[in-house]
Amino acid sequence: MSDDHDHEHEHIHPPAPMVDEVSEFEVLEIAVRELAIEKGLFTQEDHNQWTDYMHTLGPAPAARLVAKAWLDPEYKKLCVEDGVKASLDVNIDWVNTMPTKFGTPSDYCNLRVMEDTPTLKHVVVCTLCSCYPRPILGQSPEWYRTPNYRRRIVRWPRQVLAEFGLQLPEDVEIRVVDSNQKSRMIVLPVRPEGTEGWTEDQLAEIVTRDCLIGVAVPKPGVTNNAKRPVRKAINPYKH
Amino acid sequence: MTEVNPGYIELDEEMSSKELDSSPINLLEKIKQEGRVWDDLSEEYGVENPDPPWRISLESTCDALAGGYWAPFNICLPKDERKPVMADDKKIDSNERRWEEDKLVDEHYADVPFPERQLLALAHSMIRRGLIDENELAKKMKNVDKRLNIGYDD
Repeated sequence: MSDDHDHEHEHIHPPAPMVDEVSEFEVLEIAVRELAIEKGLFTQEDHNQWTDYMHTLGPAPAARLVAKAWLDPEYKKLCVEDGVKASLDVNIDWVNTMPTKFGTPSDYCNLRVMEDTPTLKHVVVCTLCSCYPRPILGQSPEWYRTPNYRRRIVRWPRQVLAEFGLQLPEDVEIRVVDSNQKSRMIVLPVRPEGTEGWTEDQLAEIVTRDCLIGVAVPKPGVTNNAKRPVRKAINPYKH
Repeated sequence: MTEVNPGYIELDEEMSSKELDSSPINLLEKIKQEGRVWDDLSEEYGVENPDPPWRISLESTCDALAGGYWAPFNICLPKDERKPVMADDKKIDSNERRWEEDKLVDEHYADVPFPERQLLALAHSMIRRGLIDENELAKKMKNVDKRLNIGYDD
């Protein structure tokens, strides 16, 4: 490939679209942060450390953990028995890699891996707030934080899963597990049919964030989460 | 720095005594009414990123405000495992912030999408807790807006 070709090539693709205006919300975010720093509520360095850490987070390590567990029965056993130790194999150290060096203020260092079977389906919620295994699964989706999901999945799990597009046979027991400040959960779903002979990379691709929360099951060819509309709760949330 | 919850105070009593003043704040109401949310901006400009570029920074602000301390009330822990922690009046515990966010969203920001509603609720909590002042926030916003849209004075 010649340099001339490279030069022409650069002009063929337009730049990626970008939002070319500053919203009031963006201004508010900056203003709140800068005021907090000016008042000594935290330092710029504190904030930088958290931002650097946040940028490393996402669902990929949890998907990798599930794929490895599907391929290695001994590793699956370790996942179920000691999720924090199993996390080390996907490069997640729940304790020492956080900016605080003892976990995060909102992510307690105890991961539990809930293993599904053909007759048992787990789904994760935090009924009190929005506890979520951020170190291994990234930021929680909007719907997970809503009182609507938090209240209703506990009362009507089968119906709410159906709203997510997951219709389970009556003979499949649904177990709703409540996250809390002491323990965080991810779901280890059943390996789907049609994935025989797949590599770890191929398997990890179909383990989406929603599969790891338990509101979806892995399917060959499905590698993205469905976009969910967030509906307002009918009865307001009261403490 | 003071020690809080030294006597394993019951959660319900403690939370009810710390009820946040959730009355509306004019500045935030104005932003709620006039601010352009990421869902609209990303659609208009054809950007596919589902989150605004400032979301990570907002999350970092929330964690930095918690200061690395455990929740003073450990609300998700069994009662016999709740422990006193060190905190001070410059911090906002993560659980308290989330409880306040739920309350404020329910009362004021239910029609605002996420994470804009999280940001409004955080600013609301900080103002009502006296960590920042509404007028100085308005002044700071003007300053930031000028910097981003016009630039610095030569």
